Amino acid sequence: MNSTSIWIMIIGVSIVSILPRILPVALLSRYEFPAPLKKWLSFVAPAVLSSLTALSVLAPGGNIDISINNSYIWAFIPTLLISVKTRSLFYGLLAGIITMAVLYNFIF
Amino acid sequence: MQKQEMRQGINDSIPIILGYLPLGFAFGVLANEAGMSIIQATMMSALCFTGAGQYIALGIMQAGGAVFTIILANVLVNLRYLLFSTSLVPYFKGQVPTAAGSLLSYGLTDETYAVSMNRYQSHPPTVSYIAGLYLSSHTGWITSTLLGATLGAYITNPDRLGLNFTLPAMFICLLVFMTRRKSDVFVALSSAFLCLLIGYLAPSTMGNLFNIIIATIIAASLGMLINEQH
Repeated sequence: MNSTSIWIMIIGVSIVSILPRILPVALLSRYEFPAPLKKWLSFVAPAVLSSLTALSVLAPGGNIDISINNSYIWAFIPTLLISVKTRSLFYGLLAGIITMAVLYNFIF
Repeated sequence: MQKQEMRQGINDSIPIILGYLPLGFAFGVLANEAGMSIIQATMMSALCFTGAGQYIALGIMQAGGAVFTIILANVLVNLRYLLFSTSLVPYFKGQVPTAAGSLLSYGLTDETYAVSMNRYQSHPPTVSYIAGLYLSSHTGWITSTLLGATLGAYITNPDRLGLNFTLPAMFICLLVFMTRRKSDVFVALSSAFLCLLIGYLAPSTMGNLFNIIIATIIAASLGMLINEQH
């Protein structure tokens, strides 16, 4: 791909990645959503987060890998326990990162 | 501008930046290998700010694909932001002016969405908070890309530090904090299961992240049914 094509590609990707983020806020803000829609939207965040968690832990390389060789599953366990126990993002992250570093350097 | 709010936003962006570091860095290295200059790689992170989309672009470039294919793939990958952005509208109402909210939404990603939604459960959104969180996260993404594109050859494996688990760990923690109602737990479990099932049955959705959209729509609708019965 030559340099001009790369720039066209970058600008094209920029437009299609920015529009879906901006348009709903820009166009829908003046409307009052009906209560059922608000309720439905309140489930979007937990659903999205859960999907992202499932993918990032059970398919870290882009392919589903549910096996004992997947170090992300092992690191998931202390992260979950610590975050439930402490309700702290800091300690949760710390638990996950340290576990992963230990697994990477000494086990996997 | 409220200083305190902006500082809080910047503070909340620290785990995001930590997670972006290895990802943006790797993007910079790979972009170089795929034939992009340092300026192009860095500008792509500045103008697009879409991790999955940028990686897909590199994949298609290296497979000899067309510009049009890359853009089309990015339309699919970024559609999920329609859902994210729409779900923010009720929170912004009366708190964030539409113009400022729209402009700043440029910085909406999986990670900034997760962190800000968690914040809005207890604090109303402000322009200063969003600006602090989004702009600082975006700066981290751009900087790590620049570092990867320039220093890529000199740095050995950053996975040794366990930083590759930063974003998964952040998603896990925020998921724990955000599932308060029983129906949230039900929705979250359904969504995770559906997302993997759809990805398994239709592997192409693993690449374009359509499995997230479909799983979210079905799981949120199931949540309505459950809630209705109580």
